[in-house]
Amino acid sequence: MILDSKTPSGPIGDKWDRRKFENKLVSPANRRKFQVIVVGTGLAGASAAASLGELGYPVKVFGIHESPRRAHSIAAQGGINAAKNYRNDGDSVYRLFYDTIKGGDYRAREANVYRLAQVSVNIIDQCVAQGVPFAREYGGLLDNRSFGGAQVSRTFYARGQTGQQLLLGAYQSMMRQVNAGTVTLHQRREMLDLVVVDGHARGIVCRNLVTGELESHEADAVLLCTGGYGTVFYLSTNAVNSNVTAAWRAHKRGAYFANPCFTQIHPTCIPVSGDHQSKLTLMSESLRNDGRVWVPKSQGDRRPPAQIPDADRDYYLERRYPAFGNLVPRDVASRAAKAVCDEGRGAGDSGLSVYLDFADAIKRNGEDTIKARYGNLFDMYARITDENPYQVPMRIYPAVHYTMGGLWVDYNLQSTVPGLFVLGEANFSDHGANRLGASALMQGLADGYFVAPYTVANYLGGTNLPPVKASHDAFGAAKADAQGRIDKVLQVKGTRTVREFHRAIGAICWDHVGMARTEAGLAGAISQIRTLREEFWLDVIVPGDANNLNPGLDYAGRVADYMEFAEVLALDALERRESCGGHFREESQTPDGEALRKDDEYSYVSAWEFKGVGAPPELHKEPLIFEEVHPTQRSYK
Amino acid sequence: MTLQKALSSSIGSKFLIALTGLFLFLFLVGHLAGNLLFMLGADAFNNYAHALISNPLILVAEGGLIAIFLLHIFKTVTMFVANRRARPDRYAAKKWAKTKNDRSRKTLSSTTMILTGTITLLFLVTHLATFKYGPYYETTEGIRDLYRLQFAVFSNPGYVAFYLVAMGVIGFHLWHGISSAAQSFGVDSPRWTPRLIWTGRVFTVAVSLGFALLPIYTFVMGRN
Amino acid sequence: MVVKLKVWRQAGPGQPGKLVDYVADKVHPDMSFLEMLDVVNEGLIRKGDDPIAFDSDCREGICGSCGVVIDGIPHGPDKGATTCQVHMRRFKNGDTITIEPFRARAFPVLKDLVVNRSAFDRIIAAGGYVSMNVGGAPDANSLPIAKAMADQAMDSAQCIGCGACVAACKNAAAHLFTSAKISHLGVLPQGEPERDRRVVRMVEQMDREGFGSCSNEGECEAVCPKKISISNIARMNRDFLRAIV
Repeated sequence: MILDSKTPSGPIGDKWDRRKFENKLVSPANRRKFQVIVVGTGLAGASAAASLGELGYPVKVFGIHESPRRAHSIAAQGGINAAKNYRNDGDSVYRLFYDTIKGGDYRAREANVYRLAQVSVNIIDQCVAQGVPFAREYGGLLDNRSFGGAQVSRTFYARGQTGQQLLLGAYQSMMRQVNAGTVTLHQRREMLDLVVVDGHARGIVCRNLVTGELESHEADAVLLCTGGYGTVFYLSTNAVNSNVTAAWRAHKRGAYFANPCFTQIHPTCIPVSGDHQSKLTLMSESLRNDGRVWVPKSQGDRRPPAQIPDADRDYYLERRYPAFGNLVPRDVASRAAKAVCDEGRGAGDSGLSVYLDFADAIKRNGEDTIKARYGNLFDMYARITDENPYQVPMRIYPAVHYTMGGLWVDYNLQSTVPGLFVLGEANFSDHGANRLGASALMQGLADGYFVAPYTVANYLGGTNLPPVKASHDAFGAAKADAQGRIDKVLQVKGTRTVREFHRAIGAICWDHVGMARTEAGLAGAISQIRTLREEFWLDVIVPGDANNLNPGLDYAGRVADYMEFAEVLALDALERRESCGGHFREESQTPDGEALRKDDEYSYVSAWEFKGVGAPPELHKEPLIFEEVHPTQRSYK
Repeated sequence: MTLQKALSSSIGSKFLIALTGLFLFLFLVGHLAGNLLFMLGADAFNNYAHALISNPLILVAEGGLIAIFLLHIFKTVTMFVANRRARPDRYAAKKWAKTKNDRSRKTLSSTTMILTGTITLLFLVTHLATFKYGPYYETTEGIRDLYRLQFAVFSNPGYVAFYLVAMGVIGFHLWHGISSAAQSFGVDSPRWTPRLIWTGRVFTVAVSLGFALLPIYTFVMGRN
Repeated sequence: MVVKLKVWRQAGPGQPGKLVDYVADKVHPDMSFLEMLDVVNEGLIRKGDDPIAFDSDCREGICGSCGVVIDGIPHGPDKGATTCQVHMRRFKNGDTITIEPFRARAFPVLKDLVVNRSAFDRIIAAGGYVSMNVGGAPDANSLPIAKAMADQAMDSAQCIGCGACVAACKNAAAHLFTSAKISHLGVLPQGEPERDRRVVRMVEQMDREGFGSCSNEGECEAVCPKKISISNIARMNRDFLRAIV
């Protein structure tokens, strides 16, 4: 099936305005008759709930955390892009659009990206008006920095805690609606199923994580804002409770999963220190503005970094990419780090890290300047590694950070299940095969504040939705399914813990569906995943019961979903026999080792339809048509 | 929000405690200044005392002082009870988090305010019984001879010791009380707050030493 | 290394609890404190025992989920750090570590070390925002704000809502948390129009939740992972007094 993106016609600059005008509206008095459900309280979820609440829709918000403010958007460090051109350096909506399409290696939908660039300017206005304390200059105006290799300074930031401040802004707006009575919070609830009635999303079944009770909630539209699936790799920069469960269960009810193989490996993370490791910590990409990346020139050079003279160091990014140097995009930097470590030139005991050296920057600008710029990051590094980065170069290694893939949505952010909208990292839409720095926050807020309020209204205003009660059979069936799964996993009473299985599936994905992927590796991974899934259901041990707070049980459900999800992740990577962005197939590279895209064969979005556990999913394609930006081979040399 | 409700809130209550505490402190300063007249001899002291007690306004002043005192006691005791209720389950192991570099003002003084306040109240009762309602001596001019009473009282080393301890306790109470009051009023700036805390402590030491000086002085004078 | 643990175990809300002894062997100094608990839990699960329940999510000190009292100090011995940022190299081989939940009437224990801090959400809902709807914002640079002021707002806005301030306070007061939000928004011109209403409503809600009152000791600041200053509390007091007169 060819998927219809429902992109409006007309020139790219007019598409969104046209769609907004064509959209159906819901009159203020009628809005209270529609129930909206928002799952997830990160940037996308909180901003969507706040704006829909402000418009007068009754909104029920669900989150697995204790408080909506704990969603993982809070951890984003670097910044948020906006095409404000406050720096007079040649930025524009078109340039942000262009950079994002190119950065995504021509695997994103043009119209979506253009809209993202358009509303980016409104996001900054909105956030400042909410009281987000962005960094400012002495003149009192907003400060900007260049970020992630962009050649203009369009990134707004709040120290190293931009995500925190943006999320708190959205959270506070949402809490204002809680106070106003339009939004009700349902925290410590995990969505376990999407309820589809007559082909429309009509509610969810969720589990109260404190009492264990299964609950049914009916609605006229469901918005999934549940983030990405990075924790399928076990170790990632994501929070330990991040999961694919809500998205996966929606997928099993008919929502297609798009481009799961587009995962982003972030180049600057603190390396793994041992088996006990539960997560990886990102060091903001901004460090690459002043730090120089290097490894020893010769294999097995185990001298302490200070004793390695410049002549014996290989500043490999500066050598391979003289134009961009240390600021090449994330996917390029990550692969280059892997390459030098694979050659046996990695630093540290494990050989799985590269140096990020600030000695030159400190010599040039003084330690105080560097401290002012990165002090909190240096402290964080020192706390974790027990090393002083002012004296010893940092050691970094790539880690899974973000997932560009997600549930397939059309231009209206609606999935293949009518009434199910997917926002933020949970959808696939805007970043193509690689996300640029400071674009995730932009997308989450764009979807929630400025896109969903229009498109959800259009759906509600233009669809005949007969009333549905939670007593409907579909809810009962979904509840029974969820209960069955819980009972089943508790009854196994095997010998291996959920964490062991999680680590095992993570290892398979990291080794074969990580930074470099091969035909044989992926095929092997798929059969390993199947075997592991069988073992999971035969040998997992889950503590306690289902009638109280039991984090071990919640974890088991999430890992069980990864056992299924990992297969489509590997399958998608197998079927995409080209290299693009974060997806690097070793068979498809240029003679000098750069990613080789195959536009004539793979210029499409892969959207997978669920056909049963273990049954091969069906691939649907959404062709990507580039009217504005013509695909070229990315070059950062 | 009504003013009454506002003053019953946690912040309003602290404001009242601070305000009444400040008045009581100012009273102490005045009291000390008067008492130091003792050093100038019997006439100066007795005449000052007579001027005070013969003034009809003294009843109003005493009434006000009692009211302030009672309000201070009422607010602190109810707050203490509410604060205990805010943590019904205690920690098995609890330590002060304060370290040298913190701005934490937690001290032995700050943790014993309710105790030092109670001791102060008990002292006050004894103090009034000893002096205000104590033996009535008269001077040749027919006014009350408090100068003589003070000599009589502080000839007893036990009384001297009791007063010294009491002054220490009051000083201990003020050590935290003054800077805490400033914070409750919202007086704070990065530059001035540390100085303010120290000024409060200097005052505290001055007032309690000043009061402590008198029993010792009287005792020593009485010996000679 | 090997450490002995005394961990608060409580089956559910309102139920009696007690400190239970565990031994964590195979502790690596580079492990984080929570990873050490993960390892202990793996052992308990394999034995068929109930693992120790504790909250954690980002494990990099920003989400505010984690928080236990380690040897009598909320978030443990490191300054400016959350529980998840404490590493085992901070302890010595053979140490006995006491682990308790944050304790306050307003933070009821849900299980073991997990408490319910939703009182904080209700304090924010009472007024911790700027009342403006999406769509109505003027250009972001239309209102210059002095850098010093923006920095001051950011200092206060860094609060992660972990509740360590409440846990450390002898009165279980939430003044540091509440005042941080009041200062953040009160310092900025965007928050000025609602300054009086905000402080009154948030303080009212704070009191309603059953937190204690402030004894101006500053233990909250000493344990705050974001080093939020009690100057915020002075400011809240000032704003409150201003608002009611």
